[in-house]
Amino acid sequence: MGFIIECKKVKRTGFIPAFICAGIFSAAIPVINMAVRHKIYTSSAGSPVNILFNANWQVMAMLNMLAVVICACIIYNSEYAGNAMQKMHLLPVHEGYMFLGKFVLMFLMCIAILAIESAGIMFCTDYWFGSGSQVLYLVLKSFAYEMVIMVPAALSALFIASAFKNMWITLGVCVVCIFMATMLPMDNFILSLFPFAMPFQVFAGTAEKTIQGFIAASFIESIIIIIAEFLLIKIRRLFE
Amino acid sequence: MNIIETRNLTKVYAGFKAVSGLSLHVPKGSVYGFLGPNGAGKSTTMKMLLGLTRPTSGSFVVDGMEGTENRIEILKKTGSFIEAPAFYGNLTGEENLDIVCKILGLPKSAADEAMEITGIAQYKKRLAKKYSLGMKQRLGLASALVGRPPILILDEPTNGLDPSGIHETRALIRSLPQRFNCTVFVSSHMLSEIELMADNIGILNHGRLLFEGTLEELKRNAALNGYPEDRLEDIFLAMVGEDNLQHKGGV
Amino acid sequence: MSFISILSIEFKKIRRSKILPLFLLASVILWLPSVFNADINFKMQAEGILPEYNFLIQGFLGISWFMLPASIIVSTVLINQTERSNNGILKMLALPVSTTWLCLAKFLVLLVLAAAQVIIMAGVYYIGAAIASNIQDYNFILPPLFVFKESALLFISAIPMAALFWLLSICIKTPVFSIGSGFIMVVPSVLVINTKAWFAYPVSYPFYVITTEYSKLASGIDTTKIQLIPWIPVAFLITVFCIVLSCMYFGRSYR
Repeated sequence: MGFIIECKKVKRTGFIPAFICAGIFSAAIPVINMAVRHKIYTSSAGSPVNILFNANWQVMAMLNMLAVVICACIIYNSEYAGNAMQKMHLLPVHEGYMFLGKFVLMFLMCIAILAIESAGIMFCTDYWFGSGSQVLYLVLKSFAYEMVIMVPAALSALFIASAFKNMWITLGVCVVCIFMATMLPMDNFILSLFPFAMPFQVFAGTAEKTIQGFIAASFIESIIIIIAEFLLIKIRRLFE
Repeated sequence: MNIIETRNLTKVYAGFKAVSGLSLHVPKGSVYGFLGPNGAGKSTTMKMLLGLTRPTSGSFVVDGMEGTENRIEILKKTGSFIEAPAFYGNLTGEENLDIVCKILGLPKSAADEAMEITGIAQYKKRLAKKYSLGMKQRLGLASALVGRPPILILDEPTNGLDPSGIHETRALIRSLPQRFNCTVFVSSHMLSEIELMADNIGILNHGRLLFEGTLEELKRNAALNGYPEDRLEDIFLAMVGEDNLQHKGGV
Repeated sequence: MSFISILSIEFKKIRRSKILPLFLLASVILWLPSVFNADINFKMQAEGILPEYNFLIQGFLGISWFMLPASIIVSTVLINQTERSNNGILKMLALPVSTTWLCLAKFLVLLVLAAAQVIIMAGVYYIGAAIASNIQDYNFILPPLFVFKESALLFISAIPMAALFWLLSICIKTPVFSIGSGFIMVVPSVLVINTKAWFAYPVSYPFYVITTEYSKLASGIDTTKIQLIPWIPVAFLITVFCIVLSCMYFGRSYR
């Protein structure tokens, strides 16, 4: 129910087109990169999926993060801009469920973005490496992994957006967080647990133990952020 | 002498005629009540006079200046208050008015005077976003009155005020022509309210002018057409109601 | 009324916006890892760059490719939001000010914010360099004139980019698209600086300039010399084009 209402709210805000555009754009990155420099990549050793992810995932993940952040800004801006939030407070809905509804919407869009990107990667493996459908399983597993480790970042962006009424503060804080994520060393497990840094991790070529660690961390962080959001709502009630 | 005159002013929004063929005459030094139900095109007309929106066709003259070409010159002489109050929430009431003063090249005392008149002087250090609806409305009114402009364009200035606030504002508007030697062009959707403030009345419905003239003329006109004469609100409602019927019939 | 007073009004409008603390936070996050990992600056024999220069330039690279463009985009959002959130812009348009001047004043505010970001970053650099010098027992602090020169280069090369983002924020009414298109332009600038047509892409200017500075300081890297022609004329034309177009469009979207 909450989810359907949230879908209605983002009408005409450009939310869905923005996600689709970001997906197409980031899916185009490996394709363009391969088209320009296919000689370097086809001659390097390792599995095609591995090569493609190593070459492109940093930029693609960056675009994903930016898409998530911008959309979190828009989702809550439509709530605060026309004082609609006040109306929501007066209706018998818990603000926390609204947050979850927004998250489900955002998560679906993340799946859409990742699906478009996996199509881009699949095209590259097929066209330049000629690996056909045998890598399909690995590509799908990679993107399923990305989907899981993207959740805390999406939740954090929404959490920040719900905390600030001014859209620009949300944007500023999130951008600083993304910036911080790019500064953190990727190979340090503890530092990579920062929600905005996790989506930069890749599946292919990573030890199984590390992967399990990140998946577990993703679940734990998600729960913590949701609890934090509910606390934020409670505390804010006390002060308003 | 008319300080504001419009000739066949028309505004069309994507196939919808908000204002059609409007010819208004606002005499200098008077309070002109611009009356009409919600969505009649009052705000659109006022926005056109202020250059906030471009007329689709027709023209207007403000203080002898042809409308669209002299936007800045007209704005120098006009204090305005349009729709919901417009302000910067992160600034205090005083700072908001300082901005207006600076643009108009006025000393700070002009802001103090406007705040004194509208009764927000005691809240001037508070952030505008923390203002109550009535205070925001007063702030908007104050920003229109800054510097005693010769022309005032006020769009439903009593919206959101409490009864005493409404009363004060009406009395203020009524007194403005004498006090500041200015002309007030004020809109409302209540005839009873306009009756208390205005010398001249224009009634608008569906973007068309149904009546223009003084209160006495309206009463006479009403009597001739068989409307109840003693209750003005009824006259207004009857006129609008009949026009709506015709409008529907026409379409 | 003079342009100066319009400008002072525009600065008044961004009061209490807390943007400077945000810039400070970004700068601290930028230099913090450099301070902790200051020892890697001693392992740059292959590049042939002195540790203290490497310390500075690595930070500058980080800011020029992402943080400075992002700060400018965030600032455009701030400037637009203060006007739109409570209809302040309606009041402005109903006052006798030229919209062109308003637009120019706002653009100058944007540039001042960008300059503030660069200055804050340079300030935090000195604190960071002092701490790193203490930890590593090696002087990382560079002469102010040199740091100033690099900062000035960074800022000046960012002006065409700021003009472009300003134009985007005015012409694209839906915020999601104006912000989104800005960021989408930032991300590929890493790829664009390696192409011959980099001078046609304003977003890549700061990063390109700092990369060239890096190659100048590092003896082990081929020095890429900036081709001033056609860069300067193209950058100038793009800047003027963006400013003129944004002034023409400004205010129109509200009417």
